Amino acid sequence: MASPGLDRELKKGSAELLILSLVEDRPRHGYDIGQLIELRSRGALRFNVASLYPLLYRLEKRGWIRGRWVEKAGQRRRRYYRLTPAGKKVLASQRDGWLEFVEAIGRITGIQYA
Amino acid sequence: MPDWKAEVKARLAGLSLSPARELEIIEELSQHLEDEYEQALSRGVSEAEAERAVLADLKVPNLLGRELKRVERAVPQNPVPMGTRARSNMIGDLGQDVRYGLRMLAKNPAFTAIAVLALALGIGANSAIFSVVNAILLRPLPYKNPEQLVMVWENQTHLGFPKNTPSPANFLDWRQQTTVFQGMAAFAERSFNLTGAGEPERLDGRRVSANLFDVLGVRPIIGRTFVPQEDQPGTKVVLLNESLWKRRFGGDPGVIGRAVTLNNEAYTVVGVLPSSVRLPAFGKWRDQVWVPIAFPAEEAASRGDHFLEVITRLKPNVTLAQARAEMETIAARLAQQYPQYNSRVGAVVNPLHEEIVGDMKTALWILLGAVAFVLLIACANVANLLLARAAVREKEIALRLALGADRARLTKQLLVESVMLSLLGGMVGLGLAYAGLRVLTRFIPPDLAHADTIAIDGKVLVFTLLVALVTGVIFGLAPASQASHFNLSETLKEGGRDSGAGVRGKRLRSALVIAEVAVSVVLLIGAGLLINSFMHLRNLDPGFRADHLLALSVNLSEVKYPDTARRTAFFDEVVRRVQPLPGVQSVAVAGNLPFTYNGDSMGIAVEGIPDPPPDQWPDVIYRAIGPGYFNTMGIPLVRGREFNDGDTLDTTRGVVIGEKTAKHYWPNQDPIGKRLKPGGTNDNETPWRTVIGVVKDVRQNDFIAEPKMQMYFSYKQVGQLVANALIVRTSVDPLSLATPVRNAIWSVDKDQPVANIDSMENIVAGAVARQRFSMLLLAIFAGLALVLAAVGIYGVMSYTVAQQTREIGIRIALGAKRRDVLRMTVKQALKLVGLGLLIGLPSAFILTRVMSSLLFGVSATDPITFVSISLVLTGVAMLASYIPALRATRVDPMVALRTQ
Repeated sequence: MASPGLDRELKKGSAELLILSLVEDRPRHGYDIGQLIELRSRGALRFNVASLYPLLYRLEKRGWIRGRWVEKAGQRRRRYYRLTPAGKKVLASQRDGWLEFVEAIGRITGIQYA
Repeated sequence: MPDWKAEVKARLAGLSLSPARELEIIEELSQHLEDEYEQALSRGVSEAEAERAVLADLKVPNLLGRELKRVERAVPQNPVPMGTRARSNMIGDLGQDVRYGLRMLAKNPAFTAIAVLALALGIGANSAIFSVVNAILLRPLPYKNPEQLVMVWENQTHLGFPKNTPSPANFLDWRQQTTVFQGMAAFAERSFNLTGAGEPERLDGRRVSANLFDVLGVRPIIGRTFVPQEDQPGTKVVLLNESLWKRRFGGDPGVIGRAVTLNNEAYTVVGVLPSSVRLPAFGKWRDQVWVPIAFPAEEAASRGDHFLEVITRLKPNVTLAQARAEMETIAARLAQQYPQYNSRVGAVVNPLHEEIVGDMKTALWILLGAVAFVLLIACANVANLLLARAAVREKEIALRLALGADRARLTKQLLVESVMLSLLGGMVGLGLAYAGLRVLTRFIPPDLAHADTIAIDGKVLVFTLLVALVTGVIFGLAPASQASHFNLSETLKEGGRDSGAGVRGKRLRSALVIAEVAVSVVLLIGAGLLINSFMHLRNLDPGFRADHLLALSVNLSEVKYPDTARRTAFFDEVVRRVQPLPGVQSVAVAGNLPFTYNGDSMGIAVEGIPDPPPDQWPDVIYRAIGPGYFNTMGIPLVRGREFNDGDTLDTTRGVVIGEKTAKHYWPNQDPIGKRLKPGGTNDNETPWRTVIGVVKDVRQNDFIAEPKMQMYFSYKQVGQLVANALIVRTSVDPLSLATPVRNAIWSVDKDQPVANIDSMENIVAGAVARQRFSMLLLAIFAGLALVLAAVGIYGVMSYTVAQQTREIGIRIALGAKRRDVLRMTVKQALKLVGLGLLIGLPSAFILTRVMSSLLFGVSATDPITFVSISLVLTGVAMLASYIPALRATRVDPMVALRTQ
């Protein structure tokens, strides 16, 4: 992710997919989501507060994920986001789309996956 | 540790998020920042460094704000806690209230539908009746300064004619002597046979003073009105009605100056008048043509011939009282001058509008009052619904208040909600009114002027809007006032279990039901009295058998049929050709059928009885008829015989009299063979007529008034043209014979117009059309009121029972019988109805007096009506409370107890 411009564009296209994937198996709160993205991308991808939360809210407005305040013993309450049925469908189709996109890029640039 | 919340909040400024949403975002984001900060610290970074690293995320100028703006503004805001004091922007608040209200209404579609329907019925009824009132009572007459126009009548109360049609000589004297009027004009009905192009047609028309249209201030569409010189016998000019002009002459402006054939004479068209010109008329009379009245010398001198109607215009600044005083003075002077005709004859001056609207005024105001009552009941119902819902929303309201909502703002919000309901109701109501008017106009009495202008116009729309707004406020006040009296701690203490909005709410609901019952009682009794009257009316015997009777107007032309012989020949031939038609039982010639004409009466001299003083001649209605008339009409012959073909100008002049006439002149004697004649005993010009028969009295002019004295001549023994109708008794539907009979008449004279073809039953119905109209409408509205009141009682009892579920459960658990529970619930309803009756009956007793002029054969305080309506309402109330009561008894005690 060399140039900052490309970085932003790619993030935008893929960020929704990333977030939806992360909350697919279980509800997560915003900080958790941000950490996981950074961790799993080995530092290549990082969302800061100013971009992560607006994205979460947008997905929530669209009805793809749903946030709920959850209180756990000994902790402050946190907002956990969970994938909605609608989100599940979107995630599936975005996954397919992404795969097609990557394959198409690969065919053009000659980059081969193992 | 830095204040993360403040950091986030600073970046949210300018987004104008709702307070709740802002708090949420601040909490979530500041937590995130804190987590990052702590993590950084755990990696061993210094505090200052950690803070800088965390804040770096927010460093891009206003990135958070911009990003959030795209999300948060792209969709409608979250619901704002209503009634927050935060902003006091009136318009903004209103918009918010409206949006919130719409959401609340959409959330409860069943509630909304019921409330809107109830309101639509109430408001729609008001709009419909207001349309009628607007067209008939409120809209000014289509004349210049219509409030100055008055009609003048002769007052002959001593003869039973408080408003008699003036005679020409009196009219001319009035016109000459008055100083309070600007122009005085007379007119008289006259029918015309239009022949020439197309089918021959009988036209209603008038002879009018040349200045009539100047007095009215009517401008012709084309051409001119009459000029004074045309008010001379022998002038053959005519004004056409716009509708006739369009229908028969294709709206051709070239018609001016052309000749048209009326009554076999050529008249020159001088102008066309707008169809809005509508002189007061009896029955279905609709002027199509006007000719100058042009009194012949003999007519102009007549004081005994009463056939005019007189319109005049008050000079500016002259009051009605002044005009009346002057006319009385003039009448008194004329009475001295011409005692033979005018002694005890006064003058009556009435506003034209009153003359036209007549007795419908009372009926229409009563109907408007009735629909207002219906609306009140609808309001009470909706208020009850809202109250019940307010109880459900108690928790919501309490919470808002606890969160700092402003009571005034909250009240306003509730009012906005109810006004929105009523506006919706108004919109649906307008649709109902529109549909209702289409049905209604069919029942509008035909002689009601301007009935054809009834429509939903701008005024009606404004009226509806106002009614809807006021309605919304009225029924919204109850729940809104309740909200502002809300006891916060009580409600919250009860843990959200609804406390029935306290005793206050219960009382309010009960009061509403009592009011509904009271108002319904008044309406139902009013309707009951009218229905009762109408029954009496319909049971009145008109004096003839109206069924299977076809009536046709056959007005002969005086030019074509100038003498009795020719008229007799024509009618004899018509009768001869109609008689054998299939379905015809009998046919007879008639003159002025009952309920189609309001005149023709005269004083008579009776042989052997001295003439009464000039002013005390009793009036006897006379009709000219042909042989077989009584048989065909079904008028029973009491004595003697009816006319036959042998009664002609060459034989003894006969007369058939009514029973009342017989009793008046020859009490306890056989009148057959006695002699009478119109005019005085010494009047040698008129021949004596011998009584040949006595028949049952017939209601001739007025269906409601007792039949007056009457007599019949044979048209074959009268010099003037008097026969103008044909009646046919049929064995089939009379109207099915309309065409064959008309063709038979045309086979005798193809130019003879045939008009007003109708069944006698319809003519009788038309005579009570005004009564039927008022009765029908009031009955509909009373029925509506009853249904609404029943729904109201049902609603309140259901609610009360639901509230008492626990109590009922305990009672049943403790061994109360279902019957006892049932009785308890019904008793509660009956208590409300009883109180409603207690208020409603005396109110009805007072209010129904205003309608006593509409009643017939029943007093405004008719005990039977009062008692039966009370019983009906009680019955309905029992039924309405029985269903919820029954449901209450099915309550499982365990479930009931658990509901707490």
